[in-house]
Amino acid sequence: MRLDRWLGPCVALLALGWLWLSFTYIPAARVEGEPGPRAFPIVLGATLLGLGVLISIGAWWRSPRKMPAVAVKAISSREAFIVGGIFSLLMLYAYVMEKLGFLIATPMAILLAMSGLLGMREWRFMLIFASSVTAVCWVFFVKLLEAPLPRGLWLM
Amino acid sequence: MDTLAQAFSAALTLQAIGATVLGTVIGLFFGSIPGLTFSMALALMLPFTFSMSQTPALALLLGVYVGGMTGGSVSAILLGIPGTPSAAATVFDGHPMAQKGEAGVALGAAVIASTFGGLFSLVVMMLLLEQVAAVAIKFGPAEIFALVLFGLSTICGMAERSLTRGLIAGVLGLMLMIIGLDELDGVARLTFGTVQLQQGVNLLVAMIGLFAIPQVITTFLNHGRVKSLEIPSDVRASLPSLRQLKEHFWLMVRCAGIGTGIGAIPGTGGPIAAFLAYDHARRFSKRPGGFGKGELAGVIAPETANNAVTGGTMIPLLSLGIPGDPATAVILGGLLLHGLQPGPMLFRTHLSAIYALYIAIVLAYVVILVVQIWGIRVFVRVLRVPPHLLAVCIIVMCVLGSYAIRNSIFDVYLMGVMGLLGYFLQRIHIPIAPVVLGLVLGETLENQYRTALILSEGSHAIFMDSGVAVLFFAITALTLGLQLRSSLRK
Repeated sequence: MRLDRWLGPCVALLALGWLWLSFTYIPAARVEGEPGPRAFPIVLGATLLGLGVLISIGAWWRSPRKMPAVAVKAISSREAFIVGGIFSLLMLYAYVMEKLGFLIATPMAILLAMSGLLGMREWRFMLIFASSVTAVCWVFFVKLLEAPLPRGLWLM
Repeated sequence: MDTLAQAFSAALTLQAIGATVLGTVIGLFFGSIPGLTFSMALALMLPFTFSMSQTPALALLLGVYVGGMTGGSVSAILLGIPGTPSAAATVFDGHPMAQKGEAGVALGAAVIASTFGGLFSLVVMMLLLEQVAAVAIKFGPAEIFALVLFGLSTICGMAERSLTRGLIAGVLGLMLMIIGLDELDGVARLTFGTVQLQQGVNLLVAMIGLFAIPQVITTFLNHGRVKSLEIPSDVRASLPSLRQLKEHFWLMVRCAGIGTGIGAIPGTGGPIAAFLAYDHARRFSKRPGGFGKGELAGVIAPETANNAVTGGTMIPLLSLGIPGDPATAVILGGLLLHGLQPGPMLFRTHLSAIYALYIAIVLAYVVILVVQIWGIRVFVRVLRVPPHLLAVCIIVMCVLGSYAIRNSIFDVYLMGVMGLLGYFLQRIHIPIAPVVLGLVLGETLENQYRTALILSEGSHAIFMDSGVAVLFFAITALTLGLQLRSSLRK
């Protein structure tokens, strides 16, 4: 299926959702003559809706031969694993960094990325790499830039 | 004179020089590795500038920008793969020269041309900036709104395949900007009671996520699939002879002019300038048949032009606050972060800071000359670091960088979400640069529009009463119209 055939309706749906949120949660202008905080979001929602409709019309009305060859490959299991893995890793890294601190979270995240996502098994190299990166970051942030890094809520 | 002395004392401190050197080397490194962009390097470096004072912080960012633009030529010549899109035209003759065993001459010529182009555009920038700013200082909310709208129309240039997709990306960026407290009314918009969201989607956090995470995902996906880059072992840059320089001097001047001019037009950027300059060099060459087979002018022309873009893009950025490409959008973020509001007032309030930036750019080119001429062998060795290990380091830098912005774990989560969004947008061929542009310019666009209407008591005639505003609306319409025509033809 051509990408535009589902992209157009998705964009239009997103715009409708945005418009509903804007009308529901953003108050209208309080001063006469001033557009107010709601006006701009509504203009944006309407513009996005227009663009979604435009893509849909182009995709469904034009003959397949005249359509631009913008196709999207289906997500493979490997891609889903890597994308999901990196996103989960980022979330886990942030969570552990808040609870256990930078010095525990960083080597953990590096080792997880290397072993879990890259499939590396050279443990000695990985341990040296993880501890070196952590040490360099600690020196750079804490000592050179004097930027505080999380020490861990559970450990404090 | 006092201002100039202040600028020199700010730009020539040990911290500022160190920051320029570090930034330039990082820029060269990111620019030369295909797949790593210097926009990403800029976004990653921004949080590191937090604890720095103004001049060193901006010197670091400018170093990354200038170094990144130049670095692309290294892999273009040695590997035949441009490190940045701006270096794509350098491949045509740079790589054939390397294959003929003239890699050193090509690298040397590229660095001299880059330095010449960069410094030429700096001089033009110094001459023009204050003139443009002097005109812009008379602008009111209506004119600024029209100007920012024109700035947003540069999305057309960043739209890559389709104007519609570029516009969708721009609107998404503007929507992200909406989230948070409304500056004029103090109303929370779409925060759903989340305290952290009241400050809005932080621009820097969004940029780190949007630029860096998709790249990390791509590198992880390519791990084990793509052959690692084979970099020649014995590489030494050699300076072109005086005769060669004399022969190509006027070509460099013309190409520097092309680059500066193109750079000053928002939404164009290095690749266009480089290809135009390459085409110009071929057309006016006495040996057009030699192009594509290792002609020195084929390296000099694009490298002069793409580096001349750096000064050109600074003209609308510093005088009007309009970033011309993703990299200058990040630099705009850096300027704002360090208390410099780009625009006409900048030259009245922070003139010494502007002069200090000029000095930092000159210094960055000196560093480029030193690193690429004498340090190229060390540099090439550094390029051999496997990309997947770099990607792991980038993950750590993304997390620490986004945390350091406001010491907030929430920002790290937000960065992850932005990264995922960036990847999926890329996946469905929606460009990321317009999202960033929307985020950067959105607030000014909305605030100036509303302020203009408050001043006119709700009458939209205020936008038509100003000749400057009408002119900018016309240019915006023309830009969109031309892009639409080109899209329809495709």
